[in-house]
Amino acid sequence: MRRSLLSRMGLLGCAALLLMWSLGPVYWALVTSLSEPVDLVSASPHFFPVHPTLEHYRQLLGATSSYQGSAVQSVWPQFSRALVNSLLTSLLATIVTVALAAVGAYAFVRLKFPGRNVIFVLVVASLAIPAYTVMIPLYRLMVSMKLIDTYFGVTMIYVSAFLPLALWLMRSVYQSLPLSLEEAAWMDGAGRTYTLFRIVLPLAAPGLIASAILTFLSAWGQFMIPLVFSPTLATKPLTVLIPEFVSRNYVDYGLMNSAGMLAIIPPVVVVLFLNRYLVQGLMAGSGK
Amino acid sequence: MSPEIVNSETALERAGSASAVNRECMLGLAFVAPIVVVMGLLVFGPVLVTLWDSLHRVDPMRAGTPFIGLDNYRNLMSDARVLHAWLNTLAYVVFAVVLETLGGLGAALLLNRITWGRRWLLAAVVLPWALPPVVNAIVWSWIYNPSHGVLNSVLFSTGVIGSYHVWFNDRTTALLLVALVHVWRMLPLTAVILLAALQSIPAELYQAARLDGAGPLRLFSKVTLPLISGGLAIALSQSTVFAFNLFDEAWILNGSSLDTRSVLVQVYMSAFQDLHFSYGMALSVLVMFASLVISLVYVLRVYRETRYD
Repeated sequence: MRRSLLSRMGLLGCAALLLMWSLGPVYWALVTSLSEPVDLVSASPHFFPVHPTLEHYRQLLGATSSYQGSAVQSVWPQFSRALVNSLLTSLLATIVTVALAAVGAYAFVRLKFPGRNVIFVLVVASLAIPAYTVMIPLYRLMVSMKLIDTYFGVTMIYVSAFLPLALWLMRSVYQSLPLSLEEAAWMDGAGRTYTLFRIVLPLAAPGLIASAILTFLSAWGQFMIPLVFSPTLATKPLTVLIPEFVSRNYVDYGLMNSAGMLAIIPPVVVVLFLNRYLVQGLMAGSGK
Repeated sequence: MSPEIVNSETALERAGSASAVNRECMLGLAFVAPIVVVMGLLVFGPVLVTLWDSLHRVDPMRAGTPFIGLDNYRNLMSDARVLHAWLNTLAYVVFAVVLETLGGLGAALLLNRITWGRRWLLAAVVLPWALPPVVNAIVWSWIYNPSHGVLNSVLFSTGVIGSYHVWFNDRTTALLLVALVHVWRMLPLTAVILLAALQSIPAELYQAARLDGAGPLRLFSKVTLPLISGGLAIALSQSTVFAFNLFDEAWILNGSSLDTRSVLVQVYMSAFQDLHFSYGMALSVLVMFASLVISLVYVLRVYRETRYD
């Protein structure tokens, strides 16, 4: 009895440690974002905001705002543009990537055609190519096609970057589906395309959701690609805008942390409500 | 039924199945055509151009692009800054792989044993992976802040350090702290992979080993470890490749500082700051081959192991 109590206490202690490691930094950023600038530079840190304030959020989201008594321009115009850009490019990239992976992976698993294995291995091997290996030629290509700083250009680069993982994941999903269902449909005279869209895809829905989530989160957090291909607010996402708050001689950590808190809302929502699919995706995406 | 009719029927069938095979082939090609176009145009074309350009002197500041063979690669070998960056990356890989594997294994074992609230603990563990790396780096750079950071004040008030540290003044500490941010983000991946491996171990094996009188340590080394070795290999290869490609954390936390400059930051500096395009490209080619080799070593090992099952 005593030993089991002891081991339960130990387990609980480990769980508490793990929670602190995972959530501590996020909690600290939240406290920072809600603290008065004066409290941020005080001698001792406060683990709760002593004078909770929405000042930083007002500066991000308000039309005008006051900062330490004086009126300052709010960053809402830039922030809202970047937010829309982040949402649009991530969603577009997700839709295109999942559509291509859903159809393509089916072909790689169930259909026989020349070059099937070579193409698949090459595409998956491209996971090992660092973005900077292709950056300069890609930049020249995008300039020549006038696609720099356009939604189409950035989206297509995201698609090419995140397609291999989605393809890998969808292939393992299709491989685990029983062939007998499809064969029954062919017996009834259904064509391949009809079978794919009416019978296979609905069964593969959890896999589709998982690859959509992985793609969306990767695109949402992307920094290197838009740093080069989204130079202006026409397509610049939050991840590139937020570090620019440093540019003045004073680093506004309150503002940066609150912008960060807003930028992590979509990932947090996904983790809270769709974690099952996310974990499945991580397991299948890296396993097998 | 006369033999001729049977023959003509099978011939018809054969013709029919031949055309079905043909249709299947066309359909397969049609399904993967968009992938081939996108990947060919945006990844493989550019990679070939990079390979080709790395053998030339492509320098926007100098006229012409003469063929210089392997000169770029030769110069990389004797460039002190590049060697420095390789050493930094090596340090990142060692720190990241060790910490992620130990921490990820601990987290996976805990998640596998805990019954109450597992779903929420798992969500908390996965969260750092889902956040944008840039936001992570900003949050941590505030934690590491020399005068107002929580790391200094906590360590100071608990008496671990005698005075506030400017953490990034010391190279080893700086490398460790950058790696730690990376570990915070990537540990969930290792944990999830190992959790999947743990859950696939049949419970009977543990019961049988326990009946034979095995203690918890023996259970772990004789049952758990061998049975998750496949997952472990995958997790190791993932953490190695990701640490190898570390960029965002080093860039946001410490900019272009030589102390924490990873190989990819060096590529960025060579190509986009010093504007030696083909020199940076040659370095990125080396990173690509190194990543491929690391992945290949692990993938082949996993492949061999799973074949014996």
